Amino acid sequence: MKKTRLMSLLLAGVMAVSMAACGGQAPVTNNGDSSAAGSSSAAGTESTRPTEPQGQLVIGSTTQMGNDFYDPSFSNNAVNYKTYDLIHGYGTVVSDIDGNYVYDPTVVASHTETENEDGTKTYTVTINDGLVWSDGTPITAKDYVFQLLLESSPEMNGVDGYPSQSGYSLVGYQEFFNGETEYFAGVHLVDEMTYSVTVRAEELPYHYDITYASAMPRPMHVIAPDCDVEDTAEGATITGEFTTDLLLKTINDPTSGYRYNPTVTCGPYLFESFDVASAQCTLVVNPNYAGDYRGVKPVIEKLIIKMVRTDTMINELKSGSVDLLFQCSGADTINGGLDLVDQGLAQDNTFFRNGYGKVQFDCSQFPTDSANVRKAIAYCLDRNEFARQYSGGYAAVVHSYYGLAQWEYQESKDWIDQNLETYEKNLDEAKALLEADGWTLNADGTEYSGTGLRYKEVDGELKPLVIEWANTDGNPVSDLLATMLPEAMTEIGMQLNATTMDFPTLQAAITHTGDKTYNMYNLAVGFALASSPWYYYSTDPVWMQGGYNSNWIADEELEAVAEALKPIPFDDKETWLTAWQNFIAVWNDKMPDIPLYSDEYYDFFSNKLHGWYSTSVWEWSRAVLDAWVDA
Amino acid sequence: MGKGRYLLKRLIYIVFVFFIISILMFWIYKSMPGDPVDIMLGSSKTTMKPDAYQALYEKTKASLGLDQPLPIQYFAWMGNMLTGHFGYSTQYKQEVINVIGAPMFNTVLLNLLTMVVVFVISIPLGIATAVRKNGAFDKSVQVLTIVGYSIPTFIIALLSIFLLAVKFPIFPISGVRSAGSTATGLAAVGDMLWHMALPVLVMSVSGIGGITRYVRAAMIDVLRMDYIKTARAKGLREKTVIYIHAFRNALIPVVTVTTWWVVGLFGGSIVIESVFLWPGLGKMLIDGLLQRDFAVVLTMQMFYVVLSLAGNVIMDVAYTMVDPRVRLDG
Repeated sequence: MKKTRLMSLLLAGVMAVSMAACGGQAPVTNNGDSSAAGSSSAAGTESTRPTEPQGQLVIGSTTQMGNDFYDPSFSNNAVNYKTYDLIHGYGTVVSDIDGNYVYDPTVVASHTETENEDGTKTYTVTINDGLVWSDGTPITAKDYVFQLLLESSPEMNGVDGYPSQSGYSLVGYQEFFNGETEYFAGVHLVDEMTYSVTVRAEELPYHYDITYASAMPRPMHVIAPDCDVEDTAEGATITGEFTTDLLLKTINDPTSGYRYNPTVTCGPYLFESFDVASAQCTLVVNPNYAGDYRGVKPVIEKLIIKMVRTDTMINELKSGSVDLLFQCSGADTINGGLDLVDQGLAQDNTFFRNGYGKVQFDCSQFPTDSANVRKAIAYCLDRNEFARQYSGGYAAVVHSYYGLAQWEYQESKDWIDQNLETYEKNLDEAKALLEADGWTLNADGTEYSGTGLRYKEVDGELKPLVIEWANTDGNPVSDLLATMLPEAMTEIGMQLNATTMDFPTLQAAITHTGDKTYNMYNLAVGFALASSPWYYYSTDPVWMQGGYNSNWIADEELEAVAEALKPIPFDDKETWLTAWQNFIAVWNDKMPDIPLYSDEYYDFFSNKLHGWYSTSVWEWSRAVLDAWVDA
Repeated sequence: MGKGRYLLKRLIYIVFVFFIISILMFWIYKSMPGDPVDIMLGSSKTTMKPDAYQALYEKTKASLGLDQPLPIQYFAWMGNMLTGHFGYSTQYKQEVINVIGAPMFNTVLLNLLTMVVVFVISIPLGIATAVRKNGAFDKSVQVLTIVGYSIPTFIIALLSIFLLAVKFPIFPISGVRSAGSTATGLAAVGDMLWHMALPVLVMSVSGIGGITRYVRAAMIDVLRMDYIKTARAKGLREKTVIYIHAFRNALIPVVTVTTWWVVGLFGGSIVIESVFLWPGLGKMLIDGLLQRDFAVVLTMQMFYVVLSLAGNVIMDVAYTMVDPRVRLDG
């Protein structure tokens, strides 16, 4: 579990919007069970799980690792991100195998939540005795409080601009971060094994409020060896020579800093080395690890993470130079991997991506500020055929703002089939929507003739129905959209102008900081465990300029149904599900994006690996704890 | 004009051109759309409250000096560069000097080995084909060299992987060293050379094709000269005629090529590095451009500018060494 608390709040729940280029659609899949959002393992596992760690697993990643092992605030490289999970451990709140947040019983002995009269809420957490750092030093509540203070402090902010946002939602954060006080009022060291945090009233209620109680230990004796954590009536504080200069030495030194060479950690694996020349990382099992939230300890002795290329990685698996390829997508790769499985040379595990490729509209721009225009474009695209062509059949289509790995989707499959518009290709429907929206004129102002570009009178001026589309180079989704969309759009009287650019330019356009703003983009979205749509569909301009509401959609109905989700208590699944269904139904009607496809991911792995089970919410860095390899 | 005066003149020219190019480069890169601070902060934008993000954004921008007018940014950058401070990489969140070493080592190592292979093979081959001009051997080599430098590198790379790593798994498909290797000393060197085999092979194919033809053409021109006939008429051994009298005089065009190869030692190939997953300067430059990491990009570009300008001078000096008739003057 990540340390960031602010992130836990806000963002924890937030979805990591990854802007890559994609596309996709239809519920078509080559997998026999198209509804399976979980996973299925192919190979037999006759091997018995060893009791002691043994062997090594070489993990192939299509992303090159970087030399940075502190947390995502320094480097959010996808593979590094998973390495943090493996190296750093004992977060008090973690996600379980189903993607739900729970207190980790291996770490937490007890916890209490107290609602205060002033609207704030205090979480008190007692840590289990017996947890130790990899160097044998006992882990106490001081290490947890140290993390909260360290990663909210102005001193840490001086280390390469670290955000220092861990305690953002807590009482007294701003004063502490600004350096106005040395005491963090919302954080207390209650006793040697207990800490408490108090959340500001304005941050409540919050559906994922359990994440406010989250903290993870940082080794104070390594990062600030001559400092200490003390508790006072005004809050907890770090005493001693705690300065940015100290942190620049203990955290940021290129060779010995904790960021690059984390020698004392407490996760399931220990950092052994990172070979800069080959961008290869080696981790070894932590003999002092007490287990994850289920008490499971890893039994694979060594993990090696190396980079592979998409087009040759199946060959690497076959040759034995890698043992595991995770989250493979695309027909060529999957078919190649399945061939190995058929030959008995490898095993597989499959699950659906918790996100989708999409056409994203800018709803602040004419004419995509009209839901009718957006829906008309959706009706121009055969999404099933698109997904089939793009993924080779290894994808499904979604119809609203949800991921196939979300439990809400699992519970709502029938409801979705009955209640959501699927936007099957229908040009007559598209034309009707445009007519209803006022696109009824020719260029000369006469009634639309039925062919050519449609016009609409806006404030006394005739405006053409032209859609400006920004896309990135070398993107198969863009290529496929360029093939499938223009003809149908022309037929309904719409013109599509495509502009190709690099990603930073595209980003600037999306955030309205570039030279030109466009009507639509093709991107992708991934849902975090704590999906928080109330931020993404807020009509407050702050959330638009802040990059959350990247559709720039100011729709009060959509905002209201999204906002209704936020205060629902985490345990009230029934109310949440009803509100969630209401939200995706409204979203489906507003169509701020056109969901294109949700990939069917495959893990391929060698026959020496056993007990492998991973999903979109239980990724490889978690799955590796249950798995084992032959000696 | 003496050699010293000539070199001084060239040095002044280099300094002048260096600054002109640096201004142009700086202006071009800074004009590119895309916000390096936004890219640097990455997912923080959607993991922080907007007001907190904005504060962090402004602070980061100021700490990088990007809130200053362009001329001030230029002088700050140039001043730092000239004192050995190449700036802060927004992509790696480290000083450029700390991140550029490993890929540079990889690139130089690969290029150096390739250069050795190319020259060891192509110079004797070029001479041999020139001496046996229009013979069966010469014609065969001509065809092969044309094929060698005509086929795009990425096709040769993919073919070589298919043949020598997949079909006949002699070499590894990619990487710099074996995963989990704990080899040291000679064993580690051997492992690395094993991984370098395919990329060096691929890079050498086009290099051998081009340089063989270059040497052959130069040798054929020289072998037509009267002094070669004289040497032969004097009864000198054929080897002496070829390697002492002819090749020495064919060296001038070869020196040109060699100089650019030496300069090119620091130039990474995005194709080779991507296909063989060899982390080098080529990929670093592309990544830097895509991430608007101007400190990295500008450092590398200016390094290449200096190399190119210095290469020209080195080439001129080398000419005088291989051919005393060449004089350095204005």
